[in-house]
Amino acid sequence: MQKYVTLLKLSWQNGLVYRTSVIMWRVRQFLGTLMALTVWLVIFQGNPTAFQYTKDSMITYIFLVSFLQSLIISTALNGLADRVYSGEISNHLLKPLNLFGYFAIEEIADKAKNIFFLILETIILFLIFKPMIVFPTTGVFLLFFVWSCFGVIINFFITLLFGAFGFWSPDTWGPRFLFFMILNFTAGKLFPLDILPTALQKVLYATPFPYLSFVQIQLFLGRLNLEEIVSHFLLMLFWIGLLGSFVTWLWKKGLKNYESTGR
Amino acid sequence: MKQSVISVKNVSKHFKVYKKEPGLMGSFKSLFIRKYETVKAVNDVSFEINEGEIIGFIGQNGAGKTTTLKILSGLLYPTSGEVSVLGFNPWDRKQEFQKQFALIMGQKNQLWWDLPAIESFLLNKAIYEIPDKQFTETLEKLSTLLDVKDILQIQVRKLSLGQRMKCELIAALLHNPKVLFLDEPTIGLDVVMQKTLRDFIKEYNKEFGATIILTSHYMDDVKELCERVIIIDHGTKIYDGELDKIIKTYARNKTLTITFADEVSHKELEQFGTVKSISENQATLLVKRSDATQIASKILNKFKVTDLNIEEAPIEAIIREIFSTKRE
Repeated sequence: MQKYVTLLKLSWQNGLVYRTSVIMWRVRQFLGTLMALTVWLVIFQGNPTAFQYTKDSMITYIFLVSFLQSLIISTALNGLADRVYSGEISNHLLKPLNLFGYFAIEEIADKAKNIFFLILETIILFLIFKPMIVFPTTGVFLLFFVWSCFGVIINFFITLLFGAFGFWSPDTWGPRFLFFMILNFTAGKLFPLDILPTALQKVLYATPFPYLSFVQIQLFLGRLNLEEIVSHFLLMLFWIGLLGSFVTWLWKKGLKNYESTGR
Repeated sequence: MKQSVISVKNVSKHFKVYKKEPGLMGSFKSLFIRKYETVKAVNDVSFEINEGEIIGFIGQNGAGKTTTLKILSGLLYPTSGEVSVLGFNPWDRKQEFQKQFALIMGQKNQLWWDLPAIESFLLNKAIYEIPDKQFTETLEKLSTLLDVKDILQIQVRKLSLGQRMKCELIAALLHNPKVLFLDEPTIGLDVVMQKTLRDFIKEYNKEFGATIILTSHYMDDVKELCERVIIIDHGTKIYDGELDKIIKTYARNKTLTITFADEVSHKELEQFGTVKSISENQATLLVKRSDATQIASKILNKFKVTDLNIEEAPIEAIIREIFSTKRE
């Protein structure tokens, strides 16, 4: 275990070397949230509700999106397929380390860094907008935390899935880029999914994407009934099991095909 | 009797390579149709290496040396054949195995580029579960020996190639591996540094009884460190034996360097062998290996000679000849 703790500390140090990149990345995130808040506040001017959301619940939604973006969606492994194809992972493969464990540590370090900055940014946004946040009960809050962790795991497996492309092809950015586009719409990052037509929502719920932010936010805002809570809980476990097994199988197959080029 | 540590039986590794036609049209064409070719990087290679041996792995670029080392390290899955290192199948990547070997590649690094080398050492300490005492002692010893104590706190990217290579070596040796795969460890280093590194490898082998496979383009590395060499060409093993025996097996000629008391003409010398050079009263002749003594005696009888030297062809030249003969 000690090895992973040391690795985590080193990943933090490494992540903070390039100060300008860190600051610019955070400014981008901050401006995104600032714009979303401004746009929705304009929509709510003179309207008590919009798309069945009150002003307070929509503001809470935006703050939660920003939080879950840092926790679930942002990843340090965007270039994983490239690292696989270029042979960069050889260093990890030679050491007495669990490969997925190594990647998980990189992710944890990155997410912790993001959340640290997010707290600072949220304080600034609170001072600017003085929003009324809708808070759930402690039980729901705890479940929200558990579901957020499920979201992290689902996204981790999806990232590993895209990373595995590097074993077979140098064309790694195309599929990843497409995934980003889909994710922006389907995780509820740009707008709540329940403003979409019911048929489209049904299609989306057949994918793991709503579990990467939207469902967690719905739980937080108290917009799910008990039956929905149970079914989403089970579906998240299903996706974790399915993606986890598939990714493990795919990487085993990929490693047999690994060429360790350039190393 | 020494134990076999590395065993390779009929190992092959084939890669599928995409071949692109040249030019812009070739690029467009490749969007729709791609031609693939199978490259036999390693082809039916077998050898055994005993504990404590230092083996020189010689071959031209693309001969399959690095591929073989990667198979032995468990990075590549062989297309066919069996491999055993320290009793493990490297491909299984068992942690007990990984704690006992190291692969060092001269051109690549495991050090964290943006952090000082000491941070990478501390990480390896944790990864390899090296006890505090062993870590402190080994680090002290290695950094003194390689003269890098002052630079351990400096960001790796700011170090020179030589300094980085030394730190790479330290990072790879902190856990005192029993088996070392060194791929071009002296590449890019100046002659002084090459010598330091060679001495160090020799010392490490002696102290820990480590088994070492070394690939190098510098024959000095091989000559100084290895008694036994394996020559590999186009993925196939073409020689496995003592370095000295290569000369006996493959050298066809010897070189006679003669200093005459009087001036001798080119024509007069031609009857004895191939005249490589002649200037005033000194000449160099290439003669058949088996006839060298006899020819030397004939020359001594015919001319007034002040000095005569019979030399074996340099090992580099012999190996060059082996490869060129194979290619023909």
